[in-house]
Amino acid sequence: MTALFLLPLLLLMALSTLTSAAPDSDYHEGLVLQPLPQSSLLASFNFRSNTSQVSFEQRHFRYFPRALGQILQHANTKELHLRFTTGRWDAESWGSRPWNGSKEGNTGVELWAWIDAPDDDGAFAKWITLTQSLSGLFCASMNFIDSTRTTRPIASFEPAGDHSSSQLHLLHGTLPGEVVCTENLTPFLKLLPCKGKAGVSSLFDGHKLFDASWQSMAIDVRPVCPESGECLVQIEQTVDMVLDIDRSKRPRDNPIPRPVPAEQLVCDTSKPYNADDTCYPLEKTAEKGWSLQEIFGRTISGVCPLTEDENPGKETVCLRVPHERGVIISPGASETRNPDGLSRCFNLEPSSPFDLIIPEQEALTHVPLDEPALSAERTIVGHGQERGGMRIIFDNPSSSSTVDFIYFETLPWFLRPYVHTLHVTIIGRDGIRRSVPVSQIVKETFYRPAIDRERGTQLELALSVPAASTVTLTYDFEKAVLRYTEYPPDANRGFNVAPAVIKLLGLRDQAQSYEYYSPVYIRTTSLLLPLPTPDFSMPYNVIILTSTVIALAFGSIFNLLVRRFVAADEAAALTAQTFKGKIVGKVVALRDRIKGKGSKVE
Amino acid sequence: MLVPTRNLRSNPHLLFVRLPYLLSFLCIVVGVIWLLLLPLNEYSRRTYISENALLPGQVHAYFSGSEQNIFRGYKKELGGLLVGGAGGNDGEDGSRGERGNGKVQSILRAAGLKVATQNYEYTSAGIRHQGQNTYAIINAPRGDATEAIVLVAAWKTADGELNINGITLALTLARYFKRWSLWSKDIIFLITPDSKSGAQAWIDAYHDMHPPSVQPLPLKSGALQGALVVEYPFDHRFESLHVVYDGVNGQLPNLDLFNTAVSIAGGQMGIGAVLQEMWDHDDSYEARLETILRGMVKQGFGYATGAHSSFMPYHVDAITLQTKGEGWQDEMALGRTVESLCRSLNNLLEHLHQSFFFYLLMQSNRFVSIGTYLPSAMLIAGNFTIMAIALWMRTGYYAGSSSPSTSAGAPAEEKKETTQKGSDASGVMERQLALPLTFVVGLHLLGLLPLYIFNNLSHQYFSSAVYTCIIADILLPLTLAALLTHHSPSTPSTPANTIPQHYLLIKSFSFLLLGLFLSTLATLNFSLSFMIGLLCAPLTFTNRTTSTSVLRYIFSTIGLVILNVLSPPVVLVGGCWYAGVSVESVLTQAAFGWDVWGMWTQVVVWCVWWPAWVTGCALLGSSMF
Repeated sequence: MTALFLLPLLLLMALSTLTSAAPDSDYHEGLVLQPLPQSSLLASFNFRSNTSQVSFEQRHFRYFPRALGQILQHANTKELHLRFTTGRWDAESWGSRPWNGSKEGNTGVELWAWIDAPDDDGAFAKWITLTQSLSGLFCASMNFIDSTRTTRPIASFEPAGDHSSSQLHLLHGTLPGEVVCTENLTPFLKLLPCKGKAGVSSLFDGHKLFDASWQSMAIDVRPVCPESGECLVQIEQTVDMVLDIDRSKRPRDNPIPRPVPAEQLVCDTSKPYNADDTCYPLEKTAEKGWSLQEIFGRTISGVCPLTEDENPGKETVCLRVPHERGVIISPGASETRNPDGLSRCFNLEPSSPFDLIIPEQEALTHVPLDEPALSAERTIVGHGQERGGMRIIFDNPSSSSTVDFIYFETLPWFLRPYVHTLHVTIIGRDGIRRSVPVSQIVKETFYRPAIDRERGTQLELALSVPAASTVTLTYDFEKAVLRYTEYPPDANRGFNVAPAVIKLLGLRDQAQSYEYYSPVYIRTTSLLLPLPTPDFSMPYNVIILTSTVIALAFGSIFNLLVRRFVAADEAAALTAQTFKGKIVGKVVALRDRIKGKGSKVE
Repeated sequence: MLVPTRNLRSNPHLLFVRLPYLLSFLCIVVGVIWLLLLPLNEYSRRTYISENALLPGQVHAYFSGSEQNIFRGYKKELGGLLVGGAGGNDGEDGSRGERGNGKVQSILRAAGLKVATQNYEYTSAGIRHQGQNTYAIINAPRGDATEAIVLVAAWKTADGELNINGITLALTLARYFKRWSLWSKDIIFLITPDSKSGAQAWIDAYHDMHPPSVQPLPLKSGALQGALVVEYPFDHRFESLHVVYDGVNGQLPNLDLFNTAVSIAGGQMGIGAVLQEMWDHDDSYEARLETILRGMVKQGFGYATGAHSSFMPYHVDAITLQTKGEGWQDEMALGRTVESLCRSLNNLLEHLHQSFFFYLLMQSNRFVSIGTYLPSAMLIAGNFTIMAIALWMRTGYYAGSSSPSTSAGAPAEEKKETTQKGSDASGVMERQLALPLTFVVGLHLLGLLPLYIFNNLSHQYFSSAVYTCIIADILLPLTLAALLTHHSPSTPSTPANTIPQHYLLIKSFSFLLLGLFLSTLATLNFSLSFMIGLLCAPLTFTNRTTSTSVLRYIFSTIGLVILNVLSPPVVLVGGCWYAGVSVESVLTQAAFGWDVWGMWTQVVVWCVWWPAWVTGCALLGSSMF
């Protein structure tokens, strides 16, 4: 009995050792820390695991999370991209986005996947299966991604994996109003082989992670087929966050930023009026000091032992600061400096905690930040309950190269754009505003109009912004009036409109030199659309009042209409229920009808 | 009950001629008495916070301690820039403003905010208004730029004083707010050069509704949820906060915002809140009534009472906090009030919508809502409608004094038949509509002429234009009356001592429009409708007199003199004389309001009041011919 019971287990163990021995199944994790201007710190976590296509299909999961794998198989999903994002990336101060924006999503939840299905309807059915299952897995309202929030982008997304099937359907859905919080982090951590217990994932603390100025959690699943060897299924989980160093360093039991004691103020003593009670504050020029313990509230507890390197813990944590910056690391760990002079990596001791302390130091050199190739801003203009306008501003900071990109936006059906009002103005560096024909800037348009309550508007534009200029794109829209049951039961702050996704197609003058480039993505902020809103308590008042009025009015009018007024002597005969009385009654009724006066007798 | 009704039926003169006057008079009297009753406890209510999310004063305000040192530092820094130019001319003023703006920008940048500027220029009544707005945004730490609160400080307060403490406080608060992570909405700090045009230029551009002379905004945030204006124009400590809430065209902010400010200032900070410049409000009937009337005058004129007024047309609720009096409250107390108010607004999940948008305040904690006060203006507007309907019926069914004595003394049994016969006898008269309609519509269109002139003249011609207008207003009705009398269609059927039908129809149409406009206006701008209604009330009782010639001349001359005293330009001049301001400045302000704020008071005056007034005068004047 026991032997029988153990047999499959043994088999399983044997299998797992077999697969683990294969080079195609591995796990890798890393953390890159980069101080940013304005006392911010970018922490970029990356976890990548592979499994072979064969074992994936045979449901032999080792590093690949079983929960997710089964969902993907059930929904015929070949490639999946899931994003949870809050806050906004401040490109003006922080430069270009981590991973070129390819690992971040819209505010809230964004999901897109390539589904293998014979036709569109089949793909959509599988898509609904996928969203419902992911909704349960990640504790997010992804089940609200219905047909009105689903689009099929044409040019904005390309599969990142190597696919063999020709019947792939790309579906894309967003939930801009979703609030990402700890209940999404916990399932995210559970997908990791070390589950936040060891390795860099041990730094995840919901309190700190969700106090970040900007944070993005991403899951990418894609098939990878190297030129030699068998195909792999790769899952990459990424968490990027920008922490405010000052805020993170505040103790948890006293997080209130009270005014500092007067003697701790840093004042500009060169001012003539500087005194004990007068202080012109000097902003610190020195770079802030911090440590992992202070920022994340804990240290890295060793190395995830599942990391399949010959030397586990090698270069897991990297820090992008100039070499002259002093860094104190925990004993046992070692430091490798990159030859570029701007970054260094640390080799961690497998089983001892690792901390990193950067003391406060006057900064001499800074790690250069990449200037974003394009900045975009999207706002709703106009006011009123009926109409509005959308204004999108693209700014190309480069003085020599044109930027080509795909602009993709999905609009809810209750926002009805008038595409014929699409209007383009260009402002050069001279500050002169010029109106230009739309075709000069918009090279191609893909527009799929909305159907009320069925699908939203999909607008994809191929745009080209000339060097050193700012292009403003405007169009008008109309707000639909919703049925009163269509308002969500929550507090009505307005309806969220999903951010636009911008995919840069590479800089034109450098395109030849690029052999392979990954597209750069930029996302605008989400928008709030105020719709005409009924006062929901009012219908009740109105119903009660009108019911009373109608009851009164109806009662008396009905009474007047059906009651026949007769003289008192005739009434006596009418009320007498005798044969004669009935006859007389009929006669009176007939007489009244002939006279045609109905009942108007005083 | 039945007998008077029957009397009425049998007496068409009473029904069509006397009763409407009686009813109209009653409407006006009741309307005015209604307003006078409002301050009583029985008709007004205590204010209350309707939006639970606001939680006013439930948070501790930490703005104190060393922040005051920084306040003093900033103030010295700004004061150093401004010294020497206190009484300077305009050019010096401009460079001072630029230097000040430069410093403001550098302070805000140092505090870690994103800063942008906006230049604007308006021309109105031949005067150029230009300036530069500076504004900075604190991004909500985990927010997504969907909502924002605005904190405004103008270099010059609404009274034209230098608001150095207000500006400094805004800067100190910007640096202080930046440290907090609890903001769910962006906070925009807007520093405008003055309280009249700067905020208007900014808010217009924020919604992309700006004229070409105003620059678009380079930096934006989300939907604005509320705005606070801070004014602290003197150096000593203050006693109380004056909350100003009137918007352009009589629009008001949500009562919740006002209540929050009063409750935070009074309840949490222990600073008294006053309104409508009622510095010593003793809660008596007179004080309450005076507060209401002051509020009504401001609402009726519809001008912007501060930088907050410009926000109201865009459905952004806004108030101004002005420091008043000499007491022991310092700038930190004002700062804590603003902090607490911002925290309350930050709590909002929805746009302010719960409480009242239409109210009359009589004290900082007492108000009447629209349901209670509206009948007052509606009754006054209704008096014109009653008159119009009565005149219409009179022209149709009753041809004048067709011997009321025939049925008056008749026995009760015969009454029914006599009435029927009487109405049959007078018959359904045909109405000649062409002349009255042309006359009334033409006059309403003619109102566009003074509207255009007064909005487009250069300011130095305003006084002469007003006096020309007064003279024109004396002559125009008389000319019209002469034309009406001598070139009217002859109606031979009417007896000599009755008024010809077209006079009655003219009055009827004119009053129909007046009643319609005023009752509509009452729902939008109660006070304006009430004031115009009262000023037009004498018109109800003027008509072409039909008495003997000597009396007729005397009556009509007296009537015309009275009406001319109540003509729009004379009322303007009289009002200016009473308030002690020059007519020119009032009209310059009005033209500015029309050009910049989008003020509609002029339209009501020239296209509603003035045509009705000219019609009334012309009808009265026709007695002289």
